[in-house]
Amino acid sequence: MTIDFYWRLPTHGCHGSIRHGAYDRGDWSPLGPGNIAPGLGRNGEDDGFRYIDHLAEIAKAAESAGFIGGLIPSFPNTDDPWVISPLLARDTKTFRFMIAFQPGFLNPVHAARMSASLQRATGGRTVFNIITGGGGPAQLWWGDSFSHDDRYGRTTEFLDVFKGVWKETNFSYQGQFYQVEEGGLSPLLAREEIPEIWFSGSSDAALQSASKHADYYLSWLEPFDQLTDKFARVKERTAALGGEQKCAVRVDLVARPTEEEAWRDIRIGFENVGEERRRQGRGGATDSVGAARQQALRPSEARRYEDLIVAPNLWGGFNLLRGGPALGIVGSYEQCAARLDELIARGTDAFILAGTPHFEEAYRVGEEVLPLLGRKADLLLDAAE
Amino acid sequence: MTIQTYWQIDVAAEPARSEISARGTAHGLFRDVRTSALNRYDYYAQIAQAAAQTAFDGVFLPHRRQSDDAAIVAAAIAREVPRIALIAEFPASAGSAVYAAKQAVSFQRLARERLGWSIAPPLSAEERVHDGDRVADEDLIARTEEFLTVARGVHGERPYSYAGRFFEVQGGGFEAPLNRVPFPRVFLQGESEEALALSARSADVHVFAAQSFASLRSQIEALDALALREGRTVGFGLAQPVLAREDGGEARRDAARVAIGEFALVGDYDDVAARLAELARLGIRHFVLSAPSSLEEAYAVGQHILPRFRVLSEQLRAAA
Repeated sequence: MTIDFYWRLPTHGCHGSIRHGAYDRGDWSPLGPGNIAPGLGRNGEDDGFRYIDHLAEIAKAAESAGFIGGLIPSFPNTDDPWVISPLLARDTKTFRFMIAFQPGFLNPVHAARMSASLQRATGGRTVFNIITGGGGPAQLWWGDSFSHDDRYGRTTEFLDVFKGVWKETNFSYQGQFYQVEEGGLSPLLAREEIPEIWFSGSSDAALQSASKHADYYLSWLEPFDQLTDKFARVKERTAALGGEQKCAVRVDLVARPTEEEAWRDIRIGFENVGEERRRQGRGGATDSVGAARQQALRPSEARRYEDLIVAPNLWGGFNLLRGGPALGIVGSYEQCAARLDELIARGTDAFILAGTPHFEEAYRVGEEVLPLLGRKADLLLDAAE
Repeated sequence: MTIQTYWQIDVAAEPARSEISARGTAHGLFRDVRTSALNRYDYYAQIAQAAAQTAFDGVFLPHRRQSDDAAIVAAAIAREVPRIALIAEFPASAGSAVYAAKQAVSFQRLARERLGWSIAPPLSAEERVHDGDRVADEDLIARTEEFLTVARGVHGERPYSYAGRFFEVQGGGFEAPLNRVPFPRVFLQGESEEALALSARSADVHVFAAQSFASLRSQIEALDALALREGRTVGFGLAQPVLAREDGGEARRDAARVAIGEFALVGDYDDVAARLAELARLGIRHFVLSAPSSLEEAYAVGQHILPRFRVLSEQLRAAA
């Protein structure tokens, strides 16, 4: 058995260091000395580089360091994965573009054409991270007024149609949300592979939809026992429906030569968190069940970084240091590898890893941590105690 | 007056060229080492590069349901042709107007503000049901108009709310840095009265189909009057097939071989450039030029016609 390791392309700029909050890569911070893509040229002018030039560096670092591809997240103030992926298609060789998107925003037949076209542009390197949850004001911002459970129904129908027109030449469908008569992709497009589909979402409605259409069920990192239960539940439900569900984890790492160095970076990062960032860490209105599970950790209330150590090498304050989920792995290269090994032993079939800064850490994690996987049976046993 | 010239990349034309999958097994004496890693994306990039090297201002990618999606193609070639405009066509049924605007903003940011939007002419009712599009014939114009209104709305304002018949958004609009780029220039088409009226209200450029000089003149006058009534300025564009050779006889011979169409401009370099200048005199400012063989003709037109056309349009400007 082999495990697919993805990296992440940060779509909201990137911090030059986990210790500081500044987005000094990209244009989410003011253009000034030390900023890159865009940066200041010799005459103090915008040097003409754009954030895509930095994303290209990260994608190439990830593919060179052994990652199979990268997740490209999508939020209101990020750049868009459907644009980033084709822009980088011809700059990369093996890097798979995992496009995060909400199916409700595209017509499924048009989406199938776009996807097959992207498969042709990349030689079959398109992967989907289908997002359905979220909700609250953000959903209305996107122009979507559907309720939480309706959105999952719509996702299921979207994928019925998306796959149907791809696989069949005279595909008809009468759903609640979509109707198609005798649809189908042209032979040129239909011969491409349908992209692998990764699902997120912790609610019952999400699991029902995932069991029908997902190749991978993707979860943020949760405390290991909780995650083990969740994966077992997902696999059980899918098996009951006659399918097989692989499970994947999204997790940030701070991997350093020694554990002390790793925690030192966390401590400095934690001490640099301002009050405004803490407020943001408390989160806004959402009907996402996954977000609610993470918020139970309450990192914004912590006074010391040690308060957020929830288990050996597991720290629950990552959302204070950068956007995204709270829980991540902190430790030496060996410890990080051992934690990943433990997750594999507990039913994880694939990973989306990330580290800040994304470019340098892609090389570090690819070169220092991934080669240790599967070799540290002794550490694995220690960890299991 | 500035004249813009675009070369058309038709993703459905010449389907066997650079497409290993379309060629079948080679039964020849030569050793064929091409693999499926080579496909039409290499060709699209090559045409765009030819257009850039011969000083076209951009490429125009029509929407073709049987081939690659024009927006994906435009992005896939953008980094290889750093300067020219990329006009990608898609149907108004593609999805949410908000999401389309979001994608356009990213494209503008990452590819240096070179995107243009062409909204594809409506499909027939039968084609629409194949494509899962439930909008009725009589609502097509309204849907396109609302699509553009909402996309421009979230691009231009924050917070932006709109509750229409086809699209809805609450508290929309982009924050910095996404709000710093211009909206793509919008190209619309169509010869009907409703299409002209829609362009008068919503288009930046209306692209007329190639037609007789007299009928083009009356279409331009009609659109001009409608736009005036709306208090807007709409640029006049023309989708014009061309076939030019050093010698007019050769041009006519080659045109007969490829069946290029009644209103194509066929002739020697000077003739064709002069005809384009006449069209410019009529008010056309956006020329979407095309020919059956996209790559070779891009060079022929770019190398020989555009320089002559530029001289003539300079004279036109000086005279005005």
